[in-house]
Amino acid sequence: MEEYPEELRTPPVALVSLVGCAEHHSLISSFLNAEQPPINTLALPDFSKITHLLSKPTRSDPDNNGGILKRDWLLKHRTRVPAVVAALFSSDHVAGDPAQWLRVCTDIENLKNVSRPKNIKLIVVVVQSSSNDEISEDRMIALRKRAEIDAKYSVIFNASDDLLLKQSLHRLRSTFAELANVYYKDEGRKIKTRVEKKSFNSHELNVRYCFKVAVYAEFRRDWVEALRFYEDAYQILREMVGTAKKLPLIQRLVQIKTVAEQLHFKISTLLLHGGKVAEAITWFRQHNVSYRRLVGPTDVAFLHWEWMSRQFLVFAELLETSSKTIHSNSNITSGTIDLALTEWEFLPAYYYQLAAHHLKEKRATLELSITMSETADEIDSNAESVAPSIYVGQFARLLEQGDALTMQSLTDEEYTHYAIAEGKRFQDSFEIIAFLKKAYESFSNLKAQRIAHLCGFHLAKEYFGVGDLSNAKQLLDAAASLYRQEGWVTLLWEVLGYLRECSRKSGSMKEFIEYSLELAALPVSSDSWIQSLRYKECSPAGPASLAQREIIQKEVFELVSGETRLQSVEGNSDLKVNGENPLHLEIDLVSPLRLVLLASVAFHEPIIKPGASTSITVSLLSQLPLPVDIDKLEVQFNQSECNFVITNSESTSAAVSSGQHGRQIESAPLALITNKWLRLTYDVKPEHSGKLECIYVIAKMRPHFTICCGAESPASMEDLPLWKFEDRAETFPIKDPALAFSGQKAAQVEEPEPQVDLILGATGPALVGECFAIPVTVVCKDHAIFSGELKINLVDVKGGGLFSPREEEPFSMDSHHVELLGVSGPEGEDESLVGPDKIKKIQQSFGLVSVPVLKHGESWSCKLEIKWHRPKPVMLFVSLGYFPDNNESTSQRIHVHKSLQIEGKTAVVFSHQFMLPFRQDPLLLSRIKSVPGSDQLASLPLNENSVLVISAKNSSEVPLLLQSMSIEVDDGIERPCTLQHSGMDLLSPAHLVPGEEFKKVFTVIPGVEYTSLDLGSVCLRWRRNSEKEDLSTSDAIKDWVLTKHKLPNVKVESFPLVLSLECPPYAVLGDPFMFLIKIQNQTQLLQEVKFSLADAQSFVLSGSHSDTVFVLPKSEHTLSYKLVPLASGSQQLPRVTVTSARYSATFQPSVTASTVFIFPSKPHFTTTDMGDNKLELISTE
Amino acid sequence: MIVCVAVVGHQNNPLYIQSFTEADDALKLHHIVHCSLDVVDERVNNPKKSGLTLNETFLGLLYPTENYKVYGYLTNTKVKFILVTTDLDVRDADVRNFFRRFHAAYVDAVSNPFHVPGKRITSRTFAERVSNIVKSFGLSSAG
Repeated sequence: MEEYPEELRTPPVALVSLVGCAEHHSLISSFLNAEQPPINTLALPDFSKITHLLSKPTRSDPDNNGGILKRDWLLKHRTRVPAVVAALFSSDHVAGDPAQWLRVCTDIENLKNVSRPKNIKLIVVVVQSSSNDEISEDRMIALRKRAEIDAKYSVIFNASDDLLLKQSLHRLRSTFAELANVYYKDEGRKIKTRVEKKSFNSHELNVRYCFKVAVYAEFRRDWVEALRFYEDAYQILREMVGTAKKLPLIQRLVQIKTVAEQLHFKISTLLLHGGKVAEAITWFRQHNVSYRRLVGPTDVAFLHWEWMSRQFLVFAELLETSSKTIHSNSNITSGTIDLALTEWEFLPAYYYQLAAHHLKEKRATLELSITMSETADEIDSNAESVAPSIYVGQFARLLEQGDALTMQSLTDEEYTHYAIAEGKRFQDSFEIIAFLKKAYESFSNLKAQRIAHLCGFHLAKEYFGVGDLSNAKQLLDAAASLYRQEGWVTLLWEVLGYLRECSRKSGSMKEFIEYSLELAALPVSSDSWIQSLRYKECSPAGPASLAQREIIQKEVFELVSGETRLQSVEGNSDLKVNGENPLHLEIDLVSPLRLVLLASVAFHEPIIKPGASTSITVSLLSQLPLPVDIDKLEVQFNQSECNFVITNSESTSAAVSSGQHGRQIESAPLALITNKWLRLTYDVKPEHSGKLECIYVIAKMRPHFTICCGAESPASMEDLPLWKFEDRAETFPIKDPALAFSGQKAAQVEEPEPQVDLILGATGPALVGECFAIPVTVVCKDHAIFSGELKINLVDVKGGGLFSPREEEPFSMDSHHVELLGVSGPEGEDESLVGPDKIKKIQQSFGLVSVPVLKHGESWSCKLEIKWHRPKPVMLFVSLGYFPDNNESTSQRIHVHKSLQIEGKTAVVFSHQFMLPFRQDPLLLSRIKSVPGSDQLASLPLNENSVLVISAKNSSEVPLLLQSMSIEVDDGIERPCTLQHSGMDLLSPAHLVPGEEFKKVFTVIPGVEYTSLDLGSVCLRWRRNSEKEDLSTSDAIKDWVLTKHKLPNVKVESFPLVLSLECPPYAVLGDPFMFLIKIQNQTQLLQEVKFSLADAQSFVLSGSHSDTVFVLPKSEHTLSYKLVPLASGSQQLPRVTVTSARYSATFQPSVTASTVFIFPSKPHFTTTDMGDNKLELISTE
Repeated sequence: MIVCVAVVGHQNNPLYIQSFTEADDALKLHHIVHCSLDVVDERVNNPKKSGLTLNETFLGLLYPTENYKVYGYLTNTKVKFILVTTDLDVRDADVRNFFRRFHAAYVDAVSNPFHVPGKRITSRTFAERVSNIVKSFGLSSAG
């Protein structure tokens, strides 16, 4: 697009001319240029210039030899022929003395004379320098008459202040615009009538007139008309191809194409600017179709291809610029359906690619033309004076005749020479590269990878042509990987051919061999569809065929065996494979060279006993067309002792060199035949436990050529790339089909059997709180133990919290319900005896302890101390790792694992009970008015003795020994109550068999009213009571376990009334006794109390059954009854119900409190001690 | 005239490709067929944009090259058929008809119990049948 002249590329802009008053020109012209639409100005300082400019005689056609468009016509109207001339006169000249006026008149007259014939419009502008420069109306009329213009075309321009200046400028502009429009319209109409009347005799004129009408329409911004006439011109031009006869054939074609190019450019631009993308593309397609075949004579065919390339390039550029400005994707989609345009036709990249394609065509035809014309080189000198003639697309010879230059038309032959000479001057490769690069990048961005890689491939060929090998190689490699992936063998063949040449040129022997081998192994067979490829432009690798593959393979093997040399271009150095330059290729799982050599390795057994031998099958497959002989095959494992070497038994060259000491050396015929597995089965004997994996199979083919092939498992082997799409006989790498599907290149070698016993001895369940000892014993049977390590792990049985050392930090102490406290060594072992290398690491659920060196038959034991904080079952894992001999580097660590599940149980269950003094019931208000939430707390009366009975029950399965039980305050705060033990402390530890309860009674006297009184915790000291330990001296060593039990809080409250019953401890049948009911008022208030006494059938009673009494403050009221028992045994006394009116509370003594024992007759106690005791017990309550 | 027909597998690998030109441009045709897969991908991935209706196997004109027109067809099993022709004025119905017959031939070929799906089609019968279909292309409209 850049090669087009400016006036063609940009839309036409109206041109006006300013004459006189030069000081205002720059102001006016910049204003006009900045407005929309802009107007260009031609500023001339004085009147003589315009006369000179316009009176220049128009050159008539010297001889109209078929010229269509004049080269400078457009430029003339853009820069030299104004539509409007504005004559600027200063006001004092107009209004001045007669001499000045006369001068003005002459100027106008002259101007009229030059502009009138050309129909150029005239404006008279009177410039006022100040606002008070008045010009008389008469003068103005005279001026207008003189200039023969309308009143509105004489403008007053006032630059004295900003506002007036602005007004004047706008007025000037609108006048200019109006008149310019009129001018272009008139001109256009004038020519249009000629077109319509067909008042010409040649097509050339027809085209020219249409073109002019269109340009004038463009000046007026009448795009529709412009487009119509451009299209007309284009159509007429197309018809001229066969008819115009004025020029010699070649030049005629060149001229028509050049004009067509310009017209097409205008049409495309107009369409694209109008947003009609689809129309523009359709138009381009037609343009392409109608001129594509107009190649012309072969010796100038390159001109055609250059022209074609330019069409595509220009359209691509237009499309690119317009797609930046117009985002009309919606247009595109609708266009696709309507006009059957495809997606790619909307992409500039598509046109760039084709531009490059045509430019390549041009280069090819140009080369041909050059070689043809070389014989006639002598005429070249004449070409120098050839220059473009005045017509677009025509060339002529410039002849100097004195001062004047004359044009002389050329013959076709002369023109051809000129064109070839011109063509030689340009290097097309760089342009081709630039176009292809644009297309490549654009397609890559659009994710159209295949076309992008095709562009890349063409680009690479260009790079290759200009010797830029690194760029070429990069692009070719990308394309090759796509073709490999999608299995397009023929395309891959071509790309690889170029890659091979690249590596040859850059002197890279290894790459050359790699690409050659890949080429040779490609699935190109004698298939019909491949045979049909008889390449004209066949790749450097030659035609894709089986024969060619064989040739390539032979070539490679001659090269690697050092028989031939690689001819390198760079550095002119020959390369050769020999002792100094050995060649080593590596083939991994993703390498394309897997086609060349594929190694599959399978162990026959997945698990191997140490020291036992197992079979391994190494299978090799090659797709090279000719058989390959391998001299030596090395199989390498991760355990290098297992490596072995197979030498070719049939090869004489492979001398068995007992190089590596102690290696296994086998011998077998090693000849690889195309697509046939070479299966080799041998025994290996692993020494070490762990993974045994075959890593590499290294094939040595020639003295200095090796291929290192990564071993693959048959079970997980990928299909061969490319060959997997071929219809070929597929065989398994191993004969045994089961092994072929499941075989692995790695096997597990087991550990040697441990000859050591690990014994975990645990006696029954553990008790919460105690430090539970688990003895661990290591007994050596057949192995000695060196650097043994004992690992201990505690794991939750339920799988919840694994007590692993990693998790200890984030959790609080609570999460460790079970804790490993420590490991104590065997008795008698002193810490000082332990060596410095002894490891001892104890964490809450993990421990690591080293075991000393033990010889055969020796044993060692230790104790694990584990403490349970909560009852919980726990899994204990203990594993012992050791070396059976002293040399750690050679021997293997052996592991013994043991596990044991241990229950943790609660040893003692506590319960407690609060009791009030017997037959005494305080009215505790909280019991009556039960407030929800406060029920949980037991209430104790203030300043009264309450009894607290605490019992501890042995819930375990072992007898326990109790040392003491006490109540302790948790934090040592003084309690507002008295808590005392009624009896004596235990003198000697008490035995507690399973299920037995131990009780202790405490008296509580609360001193202060309290809503929630903390009584403290019960502390119980106990330990297991086992006979064995009693005998031993371990009593002192063994600690008492302290178990604490928190007592619930109690509520202490004062009480208004106390009801106490008094009766004898026992009665005798028939003997009357006194039964007193005392109601004690503890308050300062008079209390109204109702009572009622229910009859009891075992008694006869005297006294009031029910009444209401008033108890005075702080006093006591006694109801006394006399009862006669009627029945013996434990009898229910009459139940009294007391109702306090004030508290509206009714209360009744409990059933036990109102029970008395009746003897049938007066008892006689013989054993007074017992009786005393009993009596005393009863009486104290 | 049809210059090239191709069957392309669902991994975009060529299953069958046959050119019918005397000129030595078979490789170029391979490139054209391969590049046309980009357009097939584009159409299949954006069915709305390209105006394809559901279950429509015929993909239409994929792209015009300098001298050829490329048409595409996509089976339910994601096997693509590509047709390259030099005729500039091709009737849609002819192309559809061609693809229908080509599809039938393909189905018969892969129904062969000895054919392994996904591998190249090497059947001679298929090749003959395809060449007959190619020869008869456009005859109905011309004659």
